[in-house]
Amino acid sequence: MNAIILSALGGIVMMFTGIFTQNKIVIKNIAIITLLLLLIGNLLHFYGIYMLHVDVKDMLQFNNFGLFFNTIAFTSTLIYFLLSGTDITKVGINVAEYFALIFFVLCGVSILTSFHNLLMLFLGIEILSIPLYILTGADKKNLKSNEAALKYFLMGSFSTGILLMGIALLYGASGNFSIESVPSTTSKVAEMANSSILTPLGLLFVFVALLFKVSAAPFHFWVPDVYDGAPSVFTSFMATIAKAVGFIAFIFLFESRIAELGPSSRIIIPFVIILTLLIGNITAVFQQSVKRMLAYSSIAQAGFMLFVLYSNNDISSEGILLYSVAYSFATIGIFAILIKMKDYTFEGYNGLAKKEPLIAAANTIFLLSLAGIPLTAGFFAKYYMLLSAIKANGQNALWLVIVAVLFAAVSVYYYFRVIQAMYFKEGNPEIATTNTSFKVILLALAAIIIFIGLFPTVVLNFLYF
Amino acid sequence: MNAIEILFWLLSALAIISAMMVLLSKNPVHSVLWLIAVFFAISGHYILLNAQFLAIVNIIVYAGAIMVLFLFVIMLMNLNKESEPKRNFWRILIGIISGGSLLMILVSLIRQATEINNKNALMESGNIGLIKTLGKLLFSDYVVPFEISSVLFLSAMVGAVVIGKKE
Amino acid sequence: MFSLEGITNFIHEWLNSHLSAIFALLAEFVLVGVAAIGLFAFLGLVLVWMERKVAAVMQLRLGPNRLGPKGIFQTSADTLKLIMKEALTPDNADKLLFNLAPFVVIIVAMLILAPISFAKNFQIWDINIGVLYVTAISSLSVIGVLMAGWSSGNKYSLLGAMRSGAQIVSYELSAGLSILTIIVLTGSLKISDIVASQENGWWIFKGHIPAIIAFVIFIIASTAETNRAPFDLAEAESELTAGFHTEYGGMKFALFFLAEYINIFIVCAIGATLFLGGWMPFHIGHWVAFNHIMDYIPSSFWFFGKTGFLIFLIMWFRWTFPRLRIDQLLNLEWKYLLPISMFNLLLMSVMAIMGWYF
Repeated sequence: MNAIILSALGGIVMMFTGIFTQNKIVIKNIAIITLLLLLIGNLLHFYGIYMLHVDVKDMLQFNNFGLFFNTIAFTSTLIYFLLSGTDITKVGINVAEYFALIFFVLCGVSILTSFHNLLMLFLGIEILSIPLYILTGADKKNLKSNEAALKYFLMGSFSTGILLMGIALLYGASGNFSIESVPSTTSKVAEMANSSILTPLGLLFVFVALLFKVSAAPFHFWVPDVYDGAPSVFTSFMATIAKAVGFIAFIFLFESRIAELGPSSRIIIPFVIILTLLIGNITAVFQQSVKRMLAYSSIAQAGFMLFVLYSNNDISSEGILLYSVAYSFATIGIFAILIKMKDYTFEGYNGLAKKEPLIAAANTIFLLSLAGIPLTAGFFAKYYMLLSAIKANGQNALWLVIVAVLFAAVSVYYYFRVIQAMYFKEGNPEIATTNTSFKVILLALAAIIIFIGLFPTVVLNFLYF
Repeated sequence: MNAIEILFWLLSALAIISAMMVLLSKNPVHSVLWLIAVFFAISGHYILLNAQFLAIVNIIVYAGAIMVLFLFVIMLMNLNKESEPKRNFWRILIGIISGGSLLMILVSLIRQATEINNKNALMESGNIGLIKTLGKLLFSDYVVPFEISSVLFLSAMVGAVVIGKKE
Repeated sequence: MFSLEGITNFIHEWLNSHLSAIFALLAEFVLVGVAAIGLFAFLGLVLVWMERKVAAVMQLRLGPNRLGPKGIFQTSADTLKLIMKEALTPDNADKLLFNLAPFVVIIVAMLILAPISFAKNFQIWDINIGVLYVTAISSLSVIGVLMAGWSSGNKYSLLGAMRSGAQIVSYELSAGLSILTIIVLTGSLKISDIVASQENGWWIFKGHIPAIIAFVIFIIASTAETNRAPFDLAEAESELTAGFHTEYGGMKFALFFLAEYINIFIVCAIGATLFLGGWMPFHIGHWVAFNHIMDYIPSSFWFFGKTGFLIFLIMWFRWTFPRLRIDQLLNLEWKYLLPISMFNLLLMSVMAIMGWYF
């Protein structure tokens, strides 16, 4: 509850900051301080210290898993603010409002990590999405940004409609909004409800809507244009925190009910995973712009994260947390560098290692982590996801794992293209001047990624405190 | 067939025909007006179910506010038959096939659904839709979503200001 | 004692004793329809005449004075003239919508009459969300106005309709909130309950300052909602010729004209019901004798008297305040009236919880 209340309050604080000061640095610093308070408030929840004692009527349920994801999300946002905060202030004139909207997104995140009711799922997804639509269109003078915002908004509204349809069907089947399946009492009514067709149908609709939100194929069509059109700072936020939380929602909703989706779920989920990996990886190969490549690669990464649905066990839950950390940290780092670049194509990176060796080194580590090279966090993230699949289904999952590994190998190609451009090509990349603290934070982030890559259990042990 | 049944069939027919007309009208303004007719028909159904509050809120929010803003935008954009893009025949065919398949699956599934079969709706009785019952539920069992939805509206409002403000 | 209740009961019993239940119901429908249309015609004739007379008094003129005593038949003659005129439809117009729009406006006005309590137990439909029903339906008249403006195919009409839409959608909010302020006290949305709750005093007296603020806001907002001066931007003749009904003539124009006056009557009736006790006579606490004397005045007189007073107030505004600009109008609503009415609602809720009202 702390996180939900504090993030909403944080949004309001940021709104009012805009009245009292126009100084961008002050606004940015206030945002960072508010975020720190939010992080602390969330950590206090671990120790049972609450701001308010609210009777949530079982609408929300807080567990270590959700709280830990909150911590990850808030930490990532903190790093994001530290690295790219200055760039947020450059998007337009409504600086305080951008930060306010980001805090509202975090409120949506904290709802989605604790919902125990379909109503809260809907509210969480909407609170998450609506600020993102706005942030996508924040660069009002840029036609691409406008187009992206409109596209995102229309597609997002459709998927929300599908979600609502699913929720309505589930409500029709069980008579309440709880995410747990109807308790099979001895009465005949309950028995009928369990065998009903409405439940799988409703779950399927919700499933599709969530697939849309996490940008899995075949519902990925909005991703490249939206990620490409949105101001780069906000793409960074959208592609990481806002996306990873979709998988958390998936886990909460489907961990006990995946079987109710019907026997076809055995086919649907592997199909979605393979299609997502295929489309994400293959299309990313042909991109000329690093930003667009990252958009497709984020689809590909979603394919790996979808393993959480396939295996649906303890390892996959741990894996998704690790994956969120690895993916969010690395992507935030890459985007922080991308924003500083003038030319977003691969050629724009030519010779970056000569000009800015530290930044190039950090970028390399982030890219290696995304590619899943050992000794980086990304390796263990992928490892956990694949391991969970084997644990869940044994030999039957082997072919899926092999396919995933093959696609991971494909992904190495386009990640290494950036590295190759930075180190082995001559050129004079135009990069905005960066101060020392930017480089320090970037290197610290790279160090964290390597540290997690060496000792992944350190992160996961948090779960069992 | 009593008066309620007659009303039910009339309203259903009105709702379905209007919904079809929303899609079939060439002129977007006509579509919006048909959509308002759909909302009216649905509100009529709510009243038959003794959910007057829901009926009225449906009219206030959808017909009175959202559709009026729709009309606003569409009328000012001056869209008409000439500016409508040409449709590709194959695209229409594909749309009809995929939409039709979905419709078929949904209809056939819902026909099997045990909850719906051979059940009648409570007409003109029951107090679930009354404002008193709704209010009490909203402030007891559903108070958390009710309050949290304020964050949703706040963020939407901030967003509207960000988009609408002159730079 | 003269009472409308007796008449309706008599008709109801007579019909039911002579016809089967369903035909009696149908006959009552027809009667109600005829009565509503009759009321419309009567209101149209009287209110237009009243407006002209009020205007004349305000401007030290005589006003209509040729036809009948004090010119009372002037509006009948005008109506006759309008009926005789040819109903033109412009070439550019969307024919169907153009001809439909006046009827939409008038039907919406007719629908709102349903829950209004004209006298003791004299009401068409005592729905349990009466006030909300009125708010909902009255917001629909904007659809008719938009239809009229757009389908005319004339830029002035469209601009007038847009202004009207913006105006009605925004002022609906503070009108709704000021209605809610009274609902907090009555605890019911049913019109009959609201009237009954004012037996020992009207809410404008019992509700202290917040009720008065709510009343003022309600009057301002309803003036705006009915597109009356000083908020008559929808037809600001100096800028937009005649706004959304520029292209209308003859009887179709007359319907818009009529609807405007009907709407004034309806909002004033709602105002009278909520704040001034509806048909409830003027009672003072424990003055039994005084209250009895007041009870001798028929309830319908009370209702129409109060409504008439509010209508007079709104007509008075027209000749007192200059017209606002569209931005001033929207600023007034969003920056002043809405915050004030929200705060007022909060204050009233506190008062209602603490029981600080009579």
